[in-house]
Amino acid sequence: MSVRPLTEDQRDAMQEITNIAMGQAGSLLATLLGVFVNLSVPRINVLALSDVADAIGSMVGRNIEITAVRQSFHGYLRGEAIVIYGRDGCKELGDLMGYDEVLDRTDEIELLLDVSNILVGACLGGIIDQIKGITEAHGAGELSFSAPSLMAENVPAEVLINPDKLTWTHALLMEVNFTLEGRNFISHLCMLMPGGSIEKMRNILDEFVASF
Amino acid sequence: MSESPQNIHLPDSIVKWVNVGIFVVDRGMKITLWNNFMANHSGRGADTVIGRNLFDCFPELPKTWLSKKIQSVFILKNFAFTSWEQRPYLFHFPHNRPITGSVDFMLQNCTFMPVKNETGEIDSVCITLFDATDTGISQTELKNAMDRLSEDSNRDGLTGIYNRRYLEQHLLTEFDRSKRYGGHFSFMLFDLDHFKKVNDTYGHLAGDAVLCAVSQHINSLLRTVDVLGRYGGEEFGVILPSTNLEGAIVVAEKLKQIVAQTPVMHKETAIPITVSIGVTEFKAETPNYEHLIHCADLALYFSKENGRNRVTRYTDELESKNNLRPTLFT
Repeated sequence: MSVRPLTEDQRDAMQEITNIAMGQAGSLLATLLGVFVNLSVPRINVLALSDVADAIGSMVGRNIEITAVRQSFHGYLRGEAIVIYGRDGCKELGDLMGYDEVLDRTDEIELLLDVSNILVGACLGGIIDQIKGITEAHGAGELSFSAPSLMAENVPAEVLINPDKLTWTHALLMEVNFTLEGRNFISHLCMLMPGGSIEKMRNILDEFVASF
Repeated sequence: MSESPQNIHLPDSIVKWVNVGIFVVDRGMKITLWNNFMANHSGRGADTVIGRNLFDCFPELPKTWLSKKIQSVFILKNFAFTSWEQRPYLFHFPHNRPITGSVDFMLQNCTFMPVKNETGEIDSVCITLFDATDTGISQTELKNAMDRLSEDSNRDGLTGIYNRRYLEQHLLTEFDRSKRYGGHFSFMLFDLDHFKKVNDTYGHLAGDAVLCAVSQHINSLLRTVDVLGRYGGEEFGVILPSTNLEGAIVVAEKLKQIVAQTPVMHKETAIPITVSIGVTEFKAETPNYEHLIHCADLALYFSKENGRNRVTRYTDELESKNNLRPTLFT
């Protein structure tokens, strides 16, 4: 099946929206965590299922073990966000999130879930803010989120998404990297929206372009 | 309850009576809503907590962490969550299984939601609290059952020591690790001498008792890091991590000697037992773990061949000697 990529206008609009959103997200996270958060320029693509694993591999690096948290969002747009951490991703984060004590494994998982929820909320919230005028005109309410859950623990990056087990054919993938100033921490956020949401997103982007 | 429920606006009534904890705090952590679920489980009515600081009312709450969590909702204007799986509870509520439960407090799943006022500002956070005790207990029981099942599938039914499947799996793990990171380990196979005669003379029940007694005895002599498994019939294997061939020979000689000195008592009959042992060690050039089994097996064969109740170390000469005898191992 061929996958229709975003048009140049759509891609520019998406880039514009996400750049602003990431700027907002970065400053919110800095307020919350008390450290400066660097967010990369988001990369956006419509990908076939078979290429998603590859795209994730090239983002986080091959032959490394990762831990990942997933969280779904639903409303006018629906999809899942996946936050990917390196092996010791959470070692540096305990004090940022108000943990006083030494973390055991359960605390670490809770911390990863907390941080993931915050990253996803900040980024997606920022995007939704930019397009609120358009989605509300379509009668959409606000986006809601499921509780985040642990998706994989210390697995090779390339097995995170297993095409054989999934039913969708292509998805809109948005990737952002986070680093924290002065700390040895990196995580990757992937937002994936399947089928119907891609078409809705195209329409939103077309309207966004037309509004200028 | 001065008003009857019919007079209360429907959503208010639902919030009040729904079987889910719902409460609201403002930016100063003052409680502004406290529904019946919260009142009943905490034993603190709305009138005693509303207008008061959450952490003053409930000093058992993890203040630093929870303030940060609520703060994140104000700042990001976004949902936040806690799950019983990582944090079993926030409030120390009694649960509804005082008799059949195995937990100290009600397990809780919480959702934190931003609440906007009339001007669109987020001035409060609403927290819903779900009782997850039943889910938690059954999930924990399921996990325990799965752990037991997987432990059982590694064990030999008769002797209770590890079975052949686990022994080989562990041998493969040890092989892979040593291949990758270097280091020593040894592997031995031993066999109870003339075991058929034990069965024929004393009966199969006695034979079973001998297998159990010898394997338990040997297990008690080994280190906790060593892995003893029943390879099949009256044949057993032992993986000795971080042990070179010389060390393994010492262990094997000791085992051989102690077994020979300790007859197995079965119904007041002392059954004398001896073992034959073959020992080999991992080398960098060892091609695969099966080769270690082959080597130990060949050494064991020569222990039998040379009169039993003895230990043989694997050497390359055994291979050439082996080629001279009629093919037993194909």
